[in-house]
Parts: sequence; C-alpha cells; structure tokens
Amino acid sequence: MDTKPYMQDRAAEEFFSRLERGEFQTTRCRGCGETHYPPRVVCPACLGEDMEWVDLPRQGTLLAFTRQADAIRCREPDVLGLVELEAIGNVVTRIDAPFEELSIGIKVAFDTWTSPDGVALHQFRPTT
Amino acid sequence: MAAAFIVGVAMTDIGWHERDPHDMGVRVCAEALRDAGLLPSRVDGLISTPHGYMSGTRKMISQRMADCLGIECGLMLDVDSGGNSSSVAVHIARDRIQGGKIKSCLVFAAQREVPPRQIRGDIVGHFHLIKAANSLYDSYQAAYGVISPLPFYAMAIQRYMHLHGIDAEDIARVAVLLREHALRHPQAAYSEPLTVEEVLGSKVLTPPIHRHESSEMHDGAAAVVLVGEELARGDGRAVRVAGMREAHDATSFVPYRGEISRFPCVGRAAHGALEESGYAIADIDVAEVYGAFAGMEPMMYEELGFFAPGEAPAAIAEGRTTHGGEVLINPSGGRLSLGHPAYVTPLLEFVEIVRQLRGEAGERQRQGAAVGLVHTEQGFINGSIVAVLDKANWR
Ligand SMILES: [Zn+2]
Repeated sequence: MDTKPYMQDRAAEEFFSRLERGEFQTTRCRGCGETHYPPRVVCPACLGEDMEWVDLPRQGTLLAFTRQADAIRCREPDVLGLVELEAIGNVVTRIDAPFEELSIGIKVAFDTWTSPDGVALHQFRPTT
Repeated sequence: MAAAFIVGVAMTDIGWHERDPHDMGVRVCAEALRDAGLLPSRVDGLISTPHGYMSGTRKMISQRMADCLGIECGLMLDVDSGGNSSSVAVHIARDRIQGGKIKSCLVFAAQREVPPRQIRGDIVGHFHLIKAANSLYDSYQAAYGVISPLPFYAMAIQRYMHLHGIDAEDIARVAVLLREHALRHPQAAYSEPLTVEEVLGSKVLTPPIHRHESSEMHDGAAAVVLVGEELARGDGRAVRVAGMREAHDATSFVPYRGEISRFPCVGRAAHGALEESGYAIADIDVAEVYGAFAGMEPMMYEELGFFAPGEAPAAIAEGRTTHGGEVLINPSGGRLSLGHPAYVTPLLEFVEIVRQLRGEAGERQRQGAAVGLVHTEQGFINGSIVAVLDKANWR
C-alpha cells in the first residue's frame, strides 16, 4: 500500500523535505515581501514566482482539536489540531498530547514527528 | 427583468437504493416533467451532476438522459462543484432562461454511493477509494490522513461551542428537532423518533460530533423543471426564483487565516439573494439550510442572518425554528434526518420549498408560506449559494 502523502506542487515537496531535516519553513516572495502559509509556488499578492524560504514561528496557540479514528497513517485514534502562528495563520497539525488533557487557547510548541509509515510531519506539544 | 419559475419537482424516497442512478434519474425526470405538464419536446436545457463522490466516475450523464427522454436541447452540462453542484445547475438554468437563451431547463441529480461501512470493513481492498477521499484535501491537510471533512467540522463546532458557551445538549437537541421534522415526511430516510439521551449516548465519531449528529451518505434522486414567463404564465402552482447569489471564500476546506467557526460566504450569498429579491431575512417563512452536522445548523442559521452570532441554539430550544415558530427551518428533516445524497441534496431543498410555497407539503405544511429560502454549500462551507423563492403572481 502506497501511503506516501500527496504532493500537490514543488512548494509542498520542498516543505516536507525541509521538515525531514527539522526545518519548519515557508515561502516569502522576493518581489513583494509577502510571507505565505502554506508555501506557494506563485505569490497571490503579486503573482511573482521568485521565493525564498524563511522560518515559521515554533510557538503557537491551540485554536481547536479533535481525535480522528479512521485516517491514513493513524490507525490508532490520533489528535488533530489547529494551531495559530502569530502573523502567519492557521496550521493543521498533529497534537502530541492526550485529547483529555488539552484545552482551547493553550500555548503549544513545534516538534517533528515520524509517522508509523515513515513520513516526516510536524506536530505541536503543550509547553507547560 | 425576465423571471424564471420552478413549475415541476420530483424526488425519490431517500435511503439506500439498489437501482442504477441512471434508472432513478429517468423516473424522477419523467415525474418532474409530468408535474410541470411539459413534454420532453418542450425541454430546452438539461443539467445534471455526478452520481456520487466515491462512485461518480460515469461521464456524459445529461447526454444519456437526452437520448432516453428524447430531448433535443440548446444547453447541456454536467456540473461538479461538490455539495453545491445541483444548485449551481439551478443557478445556470435560471440565468440562461432570464437571459432569453432558453425557455425551459430540466435539472436533475441521482446518487448511488458506495456505502462507507463497506469501505471500513475492508481497508486494503478499498484503499484506492480511501486515497481518492484523501486527495480531496491539499497537501498540508491530506498529510495528516484525513479522509473526510469530519475532523474539520468537529474543530469548527468545538470552537463555536467554546466561544458562545454552547453545551452538548444544545447541539443534541438540534438533531432531535430535525428528526421530529422528518417524522412528518413520508420520503425521509429515518422514521424512528430520537431523544437527546440517545444522541448523547451514541458513539463519539470525532469529538464533539456524535453518531446521531452526523449525516450519513444516502442514495436518491430529484429533478426540478425551470421555465421562463412564457411557459409559466397562468400556472397557479408556479414558484418564482426571486433572487439567487453564489459566493465563495478563497479557501479549500480549512481556512489558513481567520476563524474556523465562521463562514463568510454564507452571509454574502444570503445578502445578495435577498437584495435581488427585495425581501428581508425576516420575510422568510420557510427555509431549507444545508447543515451536514447538528452543530453546523445553528452556525448556518446565524451566518444567513436569522439570528445573531451565538443565539441560534437558544432560539432552536425555544421553538422559534419549528412549526409555529417565526421561521420554519428544515421542515424536510434536513440533511441529518431527510437523508443526504450530497449531489442531490440542493434539489431536495428546492423540492421542499416549492412544495411548501404551493401548499402541497402535507403534514409539514407551514400555513400561509409565501416566501422561502434555500441555502447550499460545498467543501467545508468554502462556497455557498442562496436562493429566495416566492409564489408567482400573475395579476
Ligand atoms: Zn509577491
């Protein structure tokens, strides 16, 4: 079974390969200075294609979270969350904590996680 | 300004069907045309949708219908815009009729879906379907394995409840009310009563969503016949599409900026449709709203403008959205209890509002219903269409 995540464009390939190296980065347009999340191959602000990769914040706020049971690469129920990165936006991510111990508004920090099928992804963990 | 009217409607029972979706489609098209008093030779346009998300691989659906019913027409289109598909079809038919390009259009949708249970029972055998479901989402959402929008809806509902102090009983009560509505509908998928205790005791699928708060995928078919004034004139059962507006946000499923529990496209579509119709939201007597989860219903009622943010759950509890209330919302039972064949759902909503405005809704009838509203959506409510309908006035 091929469970590799779907890569929609070169920006996605680059984002996930940087994650494998522990880098949490996104695109910034060299033309107009706009920072995007998710990374883009074309800048929606100016239509430029000349991008540099810049660090994303590694601290965020937990906006919402749930537990999904039926999903590719999480056979066991796993916590999925939405984390707000200041001045960037919302990131869909795994939350590395039991569902029952979480609450909306807590501070969380970036980490990498390798899924059981060997895919490097990001996850966030409560900072307390 | 030329107007477009709905003069024929038909739907199958909603549930699990064994028949080929084409077969369901032919019969429902014939029934709608008989209801309209229009022979196929008078049909100028034919618009349809795929047969399902998992099973929707067949192409050229409208073309086959043209052959089967003998329709030589000037517009043919198969629309795929997710949950909005069949209301996009109604919208295009209306525009072409109002623009004078065609005089009539038959819009139909038929869905027969692969049962999700069957997929879960054989993960390996159906892995291609799971991959296909996963590929609906962009790389940054799909990487976490999502195969349905359920976790996204769960997070929206969780935040809505958190921001407005809504509790689990408030949400469960919505599912119970929609079931009460469906008990008056002989074609609904569910005919057993439901209690708050049963809803809260049902399996938690994706917290905070319980089994009975989530719509299932169903099969079914529906058809709607639209015509211009020339063919509608004098028809006392004709319903006018008084206003219609489509609005999309620049998002695909989870919004990367802003509040996950807000859906701005809904308000824009409602505002545009109401403005065109000349009615205000307070004029609406009866509405069909596309909420696929109990928790989404109050959010949609608020985005449409029926209630202020956070106030819909109390309004629902007070009976303001049911029979005898200020506006009757989802008299059909809604997606949760009428049943939810997604590609067909918008047409089911139009069928219900047309029946209500004609005074043909039986036990579900809102007495004196004069103005109705249909709301449909696609994706994770990334786009919405709102239509305002009223009774044709031939004086
Ligand atoms: Zn730019």
